Amino acid sequence: MSVELSNVELGRRLRIARERAGITQAQAADAVAVARTTLIAIEGGKRRARLDEIRRLARNYGESVNGLLIGDSAHIDLLPRFRKVGLGGREKAEAAEMLMDLVKAEVDLERVLGVVRSFSYPTERPIMAGDVRAQAAADAAELRQRLGLGLLPVRDMVTLLEIDLGVRVYIRPVDSSVAGLFAYDDSVGACMLLNAIHSRERRAQTAAHELGHLVSCRQTPAITYDGMTQSREERYADAFGRAFLMPTRTVTHRFADFTKGTTVLTRRHVILMAHCFGVSREVLVRRLEELQLVRRGAWDWFKANGGITDKQARTVLEDLVSDDVDQLGTRGPGTLRLNLLAAEAHRQALMSEGQLARLLRLDRVALRDVLDIADVEGDADGIPKLSR
Amino acid sequence: MEYRSCLDDVAVPIIADASVVINLIASQFANTILRQLGGPLLVVREVQLELEEGRNTGRKDAQELSLLVNNGQVEIVELGERSAEHFLELVSGMAKDTLDDGEAATIAYALESNATVLIDDRKAIRLCLTRFPHLTICNTVDLLGHVDVWASLGASAPDAVFNALRIGRMRVPEQYLDWVVNEIGSDRAALCSSLPARYRGG
Repeated sequence: MSVELSNVELGRRLRIARERAGITQAQAADAVAVARTTLIAIEGGKRRARLDEIRRLARNYGESVNGLLIGDSAHIDLLPRFRKVGLGGREKAEAAEMLMDLVKAEVDLERVLGVVRSFSYPTERPIMAGDVRAQAAADAAELRQRLGLGLLPVRDMVTLLEIDLGVRVYIRPVDSSVAGLFAYDDSVGACMLLNAIHSRERRAQTAAHELGHLVSCRQTPAITYDGMTQSREERYADAFGRAFLMPTRTVTHRFADFTKGTTVLTRRHVILMAHCFGVSREVLVRRLEELQLVRRGAWDWFKANGGITDKQARTVLEDLVSDDVDQLGTRGPGTLRLNLLAAEAHRQALMSEGQLARLLRLDRVALRDVLDIADVEGDADGIPKLSR
Repeated sequence: MEYRSCLDDVAVPIIADASVVINLIASQFANTILRQLGGPLLVVREVQLELEEGRNTGRKDAQELSLLVNNGQVEIVELGERSAEHFLELVSGMAKDTLDDGEAATIAYALESNATVLIDDRKAIRLCLTRFPHLTICNTVDLLGHVDVWASLGASAPDAVFNALRIGRMRVPEQYLDWVVNEIGSDRAALCSSLPARYRGG
């Protein structure tokens, strides 16, 4: 069935592809031998691009004609929005491109497979005048209440985001200076990229921080990275994350439990409490400082005196040190869910090998590897069918 | 085990998609195989460009294809006016009804020039059978198992199949699985992740 795209939609897609390739209008016009005004007219939907022009532009942008012309494909315009909030540094731009590619691939595969994704985002709470940390704590408490968490620690932040809220979460390795990204688009919903090379605890903190962005200012994308400026929005997200993962009352009660009969904060206390809240040792101690349960400078003291090591944590926690299941599938390309969707689309012959390779930005042999790994059963006869 | 390649009775021109070119190069016997075809194997520009993109990830297919072009065993072809119409028809529409550029251009060129298409992708084959039932479609196994190719490869013929499977992760159509595994042997089949688990002793 042929679906003719409108001139406006085709122009929009060509513009997004050009911007994704980092090519100016003048460069693109030169490369395909048209006047810049013609290219502007094409991108603005005022003139329909001819097939030969689409083919030349696609080649220039490293896209396929098919990718540009598929009727039910998502062409999400996230990069310019990320640029507005600052993409200085190649590593941040690459992370933003990665998030955009992952979202597009997942949405396209969901559409072709007829997968309907449900979501239940929290009510938006714009940042008001006054104490931003107090508002963040109140908003975090409200959301915890809505999710039925009460005062319990959050054991699995990623699952909570994906299952309870319907946020698209991708865990992929990016430059170590980048902790995570958040973006929201009406057509695809809320999405986050968390750095796979960071520890599970740090990813949970980043995820809770990005959740703060979803609550307070979802239309503005955000990048969390080392050395970022502490704008009001970022301070809100930081405070929200802390309050969401470590509510005041729970921390206070746990602290009283763990430190009964002692007058000092030991490494053992920190290790046990950090494990209980699923956060890093540093973040836990900083939260204790913030709540004035220990004196300011406690973390600095530990740091100056050999720190609190993973080896010490393993000694204290023994078997309680859990496997990082979210790391599954992060060493290869894509994500576990994305690769399973791709294998299913291929198994049902809904997407060709060329289309999948293009969508996942893999060469054919790398794609074949992904499909083979995802489809370990092959086409076994009599394999159990799902009851739906 | 009886096996007969659908290419045995086909005259040139023959045009191959990227899925087949990759397997052909992975076989390590591309020169010997192509010498038996009676003319150059055609490859559309779109496929060549797709393989060129693989250079970024360290793939050698574009380089190997260039060598085959230079010695006249492969000819790169461009879409004409009529084939461009077929191309447009195959790349636009809903995702499930369309193909990527290389696959679409290969089929479009074959339609215009009455060429036999070599393509392994199941979706591409399904679309061709529905929309262009008169088109002759074969695959990599047909190319490797072509009576003249098989004879010229001699004792190396099973090695070529194994290499295509092991290096290129060649997909094998269901009806050829028994023949392929019989030729390469079950020990080597166990090493080929692109074969179904039941053929790998899994």
